[in-house]
Amino acid sequence: MTWTRSIRILYQTSFLALFLWLLSRLAAGDTRAFPYSLFHHTDPLSAVGVVLGSGTLPGALIWSVALIVLCFLFGRAFCGWICPLGTLQQFFSWILSPRTRRESLLINRYRTWYAIKYYVLAALLIGSLAGSLQTGLLDPLSLSARGLASGFWPILPGGRPVPGGWLAALFFLAILVSSRFIPRLFCRALCPLGALLGCFSRLALFRIHCRRDACTGCVKCTFACQGGDEPLGDHRVGECHVCLNCIPACPENALSYRFLPPLPAQPPIPDISRRRMIGTAIGGIVLAPILRAAGGGRSAAHSHLIRPPGSLGENDFLTRCVKCSLCQQSCPTGAIHPAIAQAGVEGFWTPVIIPRRGFCEFACTRCGEVCPTGAITQLTAVRKTGYDGRPPVRIGTAFIHPGRCLPWAMNTPCIVCEEVCPTDPKALWFEEVDVVDRKGRTVHLQRPRVDPLRCVGCGICENKCPVGEEAAIRVTSVGETRDPLNKMILAP
Amino acid sequence: MIHDPYDHHISRREAVARLSATAIGAAAIGVGAYFFHDRRSVHAAAPAIPDWRLPQTGASARTVVARGNDPAANVRRLITALGGMNKFVKKGESVLIKPNVGWDRLPDQGANTDPKVVAELVRLCKAAGAGRVIVADISVNDPTRCFTRTGILDAAKAAGADVIYAQQLKMVAADLSGYSAGMEVFAPLLTANRVINVPVVKHHSLSRVTIGMKNWMGVLGRGRNRLHQDIQRAMAELGAMFRPTLTVIDATRVLMRNGPQGGSLADVKQVGAIAAGIDPVLCDAWGATQLGLDPNSLGFISEAEQKGLGRSDVKLITELGVA
Repeated sequence: MTWTRSIRILYQTSFLALFLWLLSRLAAGDTRAFPYSLFHHTDPLSAVGVVLGSGTLPGALIWSVALIVLCFLFGRAFCGWICPLGTLQQFFSWILSPRTRRESLLINRYRTWYAIKYYVLAALLIGSLAGSLQTGLLDPLSLSARGLASGFWPILPGGRPVPGGWLAALFFLAILVSSRFIPRLFCRALCPLGALLGCFSRLALFRIHCRRDACTGCVKCTFACQGGDEPLGDHRVGECHVCLNCIPACPENALSYRFLPPLPAQPPIPDISRRRMIGTAIGGIVLAPILRAAGGGRSAAHSHLIRPPGSLGENDFLTRCVKCSLCQQSCPTGAIHPAIAQAGVEGFWTPVIIPRRGFCEFACTRCGEVCPTGAITQLTAVRKTGYDGRPPVRIGTAFIHPGRCLPWAMNTPCIVCEEVCPTDPKALWFEEVDVVDRKGRTVHLQRPRVDPLRCVGCGICENKCPVGEEAAIRVTSVGETRDPLNKMILAP
Repeated sequence: MIHDPYDHHISRREAVARLSATAIGAAAIGVGAYFFHDRRSVHAAAPAIPDWRLPQTGASARTVVARGNDPAANVRRLITALGGMNKFVKKGESVLIKPNVGWDRLPDQGANTDPKVVAELVRLCKAAGAGRVIVADISVNDPTRCFTRTGILDAAKAAGADVIYAQQLKMVAADLSGYSAGMEVFAPLLTANRVINVPVVKHHSLSRVTIGMKNWMGVLGRGRNRLHQDIQRAMAELGAMFRPTLTVIDATRVLMRNGPQGGSLADVKQVGAIAAGIDPVLCDAWGATQLGLDPNSLGFISEAEQKGLGRSDVKLITELGVA
């Protein structure tokens, strides 16, 4: 093993380990302030998508500039050295498929259809501009966190099931397995982040250089090429993952990674046809209204679209959420789940709270702390609970269903919802009644009622309600702070 | 420059050019990031509701009532008594006329403003040299049925107005306070230079009476139904936020019971009176008396008077009598 390869593998494993470790700390509820969104903050695809959609570059997402500068210096080194999904694909490609040298040569040649990723990028960015941010669906960082949070963590001991999680897990697995047939197929053909970095890398200062006078055309450099960019001849810098496998592979020492090498006579540009790009642009523009027409929470509030506390209004939320699942992974009670249908097609995999599965812990502000794009704003516990004297942050309102509630329907004493209610004074109060039961005995009952001016919609009442599968007190989104129109009571 | 594939070096000129290109790219990214970074994630403040009033003195500051069987003639006499429409609408100004077109009812049922009143106001505005005259409302029933069957669509169009309703009525954010904070209003409200409020007087099951200040609910979008929880205060709030150039109260027919929608002709009283003036409180106070109510027994009128929006003493009104 050559030293460049050893160092590269060290980098790759370190970054992969860091990525997994941060996710595991998040899931473990580690209270130390680790940079949980480190990878997502440096994601230029999220940054560009959010800027196009919302006109803002929120908070620490500005670190994505660092990755772009890295790209200006070294090309797509992120893909070959840092990206956890790239590392996993490379590993799976290696372990799943012992190949002959001839097979290696065939699968690592450049193919024109690798240009698909540029169309994907264009469609996603134009979609963002039209107000529907979907970059997260194919962003390798969001995609990996999503696949792991919804597909891998649930199967760990003590893991909580995620309804619909298999969708993300299956997509993630499919990408890894596809590497058995073509190494880094996702990176080469689909990855919109790779395509974006590919665009920036055209200005890269350090590049692979092939000395024409020394090259014999033996194509040994292609055998282990990760990017499928064919280092010999007219090297495609926009495809190159800077894995540097080609350099020691060259028996003539014709290849080098150099500062400002001479460019090929005709620097290859991606195989993009103008006509197809126009078609893609039109598709991107049309996609947003089509997705919106499928319904969701934009024009009318949806009862079960309960967003995490501090979430922006639905329109702003959908121009910022990159569907990375970090909030889901961070939620200590397992309340946050991916939206499968609650937020429409457009909001697929955005976070929603399912109170029967987990409640919003009253003073917890973890989801907002880890959200990389500010779709969920960072709250303080004092602000969220309203202890600063302003109205608390509400995510919904609880409703009692008297047909199922024990004191209401069954004349059976029960006070669970009231005892767990965290607000001060409690949103749940009792109507005291004496009723005569079937056997003629007088039963004193405390029938719970909700004070909608006190309820913050945290859902602990629904979560703890002893009435079996469907609680007798249920939270819907009405009254949420983020939508002033999804309100029923006049007072604040 | 001849490219030599066997030369492993680049010229100084090419080096400078490529370094500059990368530097410019990096600078562009940096400037872009700096420009977009951390701008307020919440949208800019919603536009304020303009004050459409014009200072009036003498005759034009009065509140007047005209009676007679022809609503159009009544409107003409009122405006003449107030000194003519050009006291209120200047040449080229755009005017929004806000009638009550809430319900799918015929004019005789008294649930909506009389179309003749609306049309006459449009004509007078046009005659005074107004630019665009818009008639708009957000109906409760299907807006197409409402505007068609009330006769307001045809009458106002014939008089030269642009009637905007249903899907054409775009909703925009506005700086509303109090109970209606966060709600949207229809766009023509924010672009019109002058606004004439033309409600109909009728019974209302909750607020007892619906007149001018209640008529502003028709400019609000989603969420307006919430206001019924404290209707008297909500009406006074609306009266304080929307300050019309002129108020015209249509009491040609008054729905005495089963309001605000009515239906039965037995509930409709033929009054044949119309009031107009720049004092919205006085206009509403007069309207309340048409239902036999003491204006000061109505919370919204007292509250509006306390807010200084106008006076509630109906003795201040000038009767023009029957033509």
